[in-house]
Amino acid sequence: MTAQTTAMEALQKELDRLNRAPGLSATEDRVDKIIEMLTSVRDQIVQSGMDTHVASMSITKIQNPIKSTFEKINDDLKGVTATQRKLGKTLDKHFPLKDLPSTHDAMADQESLINRAISMHLLREGQFSVASTFIEETGDAATLENVNAVADGQDQVSASDNYDDEPMDEDRDDDDDDEDDDDDDDEDEYMSPLEGAATGLGFRQLQNLSSLQSHELEAKFSQMYTILQDIKSRNLLSAIEWARSNSGELEARGSNLEFELSRLQYVWLFKGPRVNGLPDNELNGTAGALLYAQQNFWRFGNRYIGEIQQLANAQIYARNLSESPYRHIFSTETAFADVASSFTREFCSLLGLSAESPLYVAVTAGALALPLLIKYQQATRAKGTEWTTTNELAFETPLPERMLYHSIFVCPVSKEQTTEQNPPMMIPCGHVLAKETLQRLLKGTRFKCPYCPAEGLEKDARRIMI
Amino acid sequence: MADHEASKINHDNHLLLDQPLLRLPYELLRKNFRSAHFTVEKESTTLNKLLKETAKGSLDGKTSPEDVVKNLDTMIAKMRGMKRKLSMYANEETRLYKQLDARVAHLRELSDMHSVEDVKYEAWSRKRLDRLLVDYMLRHGYNTSAQALANEREMYDLVDVETFLTMSKIRESLENGSVTEALAWCNDNKKELRKLQSNLEFLLRCQQYIELLRINTPSKSVEAITHAKKYIAPFQEQYPDEVREMAALLAHRPTDKNLPPKYAAWYSPDRWTKLATSFVEAHNKLLGLPTFPLLHTALSSGLSALKTPACHGTQKTTSSSQPGHSQTSMTSTVCPICSIELNDLAKNVPYAHHSKSHLDNDLLLLPNGRVYGQAKLDEYAAKAGLAEGQVKDLVTGEVYSRTALKKVFA
Repeated sequence: MTAQTTAMEALQKELDRLNRAPGLSATEDRVDKIIEMLTSVRDQIVQSGMDTHVASMSITKIQNPIKSTFEKINDDLKGVTATQRKLGKTLDKHFPLKDLPSTHDAMADQESLINRAISMHLLREGQFSVASTFIEETGDAATLENVNAVADGQDQVSASDNYDDEPMDEDRDDDDDDEDDDDDDDEDEYMSPLEGAATGLGFRQLQNLSSLQSHELEAKFSQMYTILQDIKSRNLLSAIEWARSNSGELEARGSNLEFELSRLQYVWLFKGPRVNGLPDNELNGTAGALLYAQQNFWRFGNRYIGEIQQLANAQIYARNLSESPYRHIFSTETAFADVASSFTREFCSLLGLSAESPLYVAVTAGALALPLLIKYQQATRAKGTEWTTTNELAFETPLPERMLYHSIFVCPVSKEQTTEQNPPMMIPCGHVLAKETLQRLLKGTRFKCPYCPAEGLEKDARRIMI
Repeated sequence: MADHEASKINHDNHLLLDQPLLRLPYELLRKNFRSAHFTVEKESTTLNKLLKETAKGSLDGKTSPEDVVKNLDTMIAKMRGMKRKLSMYANEETRLYKQLDARVAHLRELSDMHSVEDVKYEAWSRKRLDRLLVDYMLRHGYNTSAQALANEREMYDLVDVETFLTMSKIRESLENGSVTEALAWCNDNKKELRKLQSNLEFLLRCQQYIELLRINTPSKSVEAITHAKKYIAPFQEQYPDEVREMAALLAHRPTDKNLPPKYAAWYSPDRWTKLATSFVEAHNKLLGLPTFPLLHTALSSGLSALKTPACHGTQKTTSSSQPGHSQTSMTSTVCPICSIELNDLAKNVPYAHHSKSHLDNDLLLLPNGRVYGQAKLDEYAAKAGLAEGQVKDLVTGEVYSRTALKKVFA
């Protein structure tokens, strides 16, 4: 058991104890008792007709009981505080407040940038109402503009890009009708506040335009979420339609999404009404699947001829699919989830966005790197060095493979990462060195490779891009 | 092997971002208890005294039965009032217990996970992100959004909306030129503030004094002096310089010509903003809250850990955000730092330190100077439907013959 699990166990134990022990609510009963005593004496005196004797007797009688009830209340309170204090001790012991790096807050003046990142994140997560509340509350037109810049930038690029390798798709202009029309309109109408002011446009009108555009981004994510919901409920039609309307771009990216979706639809129909819950008619079952194939697979030409043949051959095994060589194609356990994530990835990529929320990745990476930062800070506190004054962290922050997005080359000689100023150079023998390293190795215009007997001239080294 | 290490969850320090999560309800519990205790002390003392007096008076014959009854009514009323208060404190206590339960449960979930690749960890990490977002929104005063998000995610017990809402109210009142709420807060937390050696109350009293002087009428000046004698003089030992300056302010009014900057600063309206900041600092220190929103801390270290020199470079890479045909399905995992959402934000943080290269296997150099792993080139060539001996650059789309490629040893 790690130290942390013991810590959590200890904490849980104290918490259980706290929950079992009487809390402040127990004192309420005692107070009730006191009220009762006081009330009964009062009534006694009144009932006796304000008799002096009764009054003095009864009131003297309750003095002690009341005092002792108060003492009991005090004891109760002592018990509560003792239990709570124990919890506090456990917290101090196992979860001591470690000083988070507080000497320098790199994010201090970046409120609007952070706000923008949060707005985008909320939109990605499908939290549309929270997103619009947030955008409104953070309120500066700057945030709206920034969010628009994203939407704007993507639309402008995708509208004007030329695909060298693929023939110009005639259909593409008709596809995404709304999107393209909006692009044109907005490109004409969108002005920076300065320009707007110059032309005398009211701020109100500008705001309406801005909100129109941030709504555009929201609309795009909204569309993505609608389609994802469909996929979740095993309805692939909207996804297939989307893939078709964007087939040009998807093909240019080398994506198989449209085929993946169509194939899954075939498989889904193949399984018949008992599995897919669709009406039992000629559009369903193996016959329905075949019909679907005939109507739709022609689109894929020769690209997937192998896969399509497999799907056709599977018809023969309709009765005992589980023993056919094609059974793996027909297992749909993860197929829908897989196709959903392919779809999300492609959809986001077409918008120029990553499939995974960058904010999420950054914060998760932060949680992994933070302990190392603190360790380093503690170690260097005596020296008083700040870690943010240099361009590079002074300590390593290992991250899991999937969080390493770029290729990294560390020169084995200088142990430095290559940068644009100090790029990796390949020398004729095929080995790679950092440029500065190479220059240090030069004897005149010649150098000897540190790894092999090869020698070379400076001009034979070429810069490579990893 | 290395990756396995990097993916492992180090339980001992994974919860650094979550320290305040447990601390705050605990501190609030203690505060709540103290209030309850104080109430009981006060009321019980008063009641016992009155009871004793009434009993004695009745025995002595000095108090008539009618008066005894009257006193009893008073006592009953007091007790009823005390009960109401205790009920309030008890409810608060229950609420905090519930919060603690929920929070400990949330943190305990982590003990069952051992790797960040665990699908459960992702859900847990997302929850944590939501918590950090709500915390951020509350600290910046985006209260509606914070509540909306907390409701949407049903995580009310994991965040401290009430605490920050109250803090927000007081901060706003200070920004609007009122010390009343802040002084009430100081009063509630006298003991703890003294332990922290906070100068907040002193500064608030000074501000009251300054506002009286600002009016610049003889009657207000007299009021100011009275105020100073009562509330500022006691701090003479603690803050001698400031007390002296306060005294000097009598001779220097805001409307004076050539007001020395030292005194002008005291009269300046941005004193209110400074007071608001001082209040927030004292508040956070009192409750053990970190100075900056936790999101800032997580982002600073996360952005650095992810950042590479290439992220702000001019060169188009396989993981930079460039929509359009240059990006392929295989390279669509956009680096978070290169993403449009974070790129600007990450400009001023240092990049990560690496002591080992991280490159594809079997690197091949294309004639255009770019380098890719063989597997990637093969896969992309197949997807693009190229002829046998050809490859295609994943970023630029240029097509080359395989014979033109050179092996790279890095």
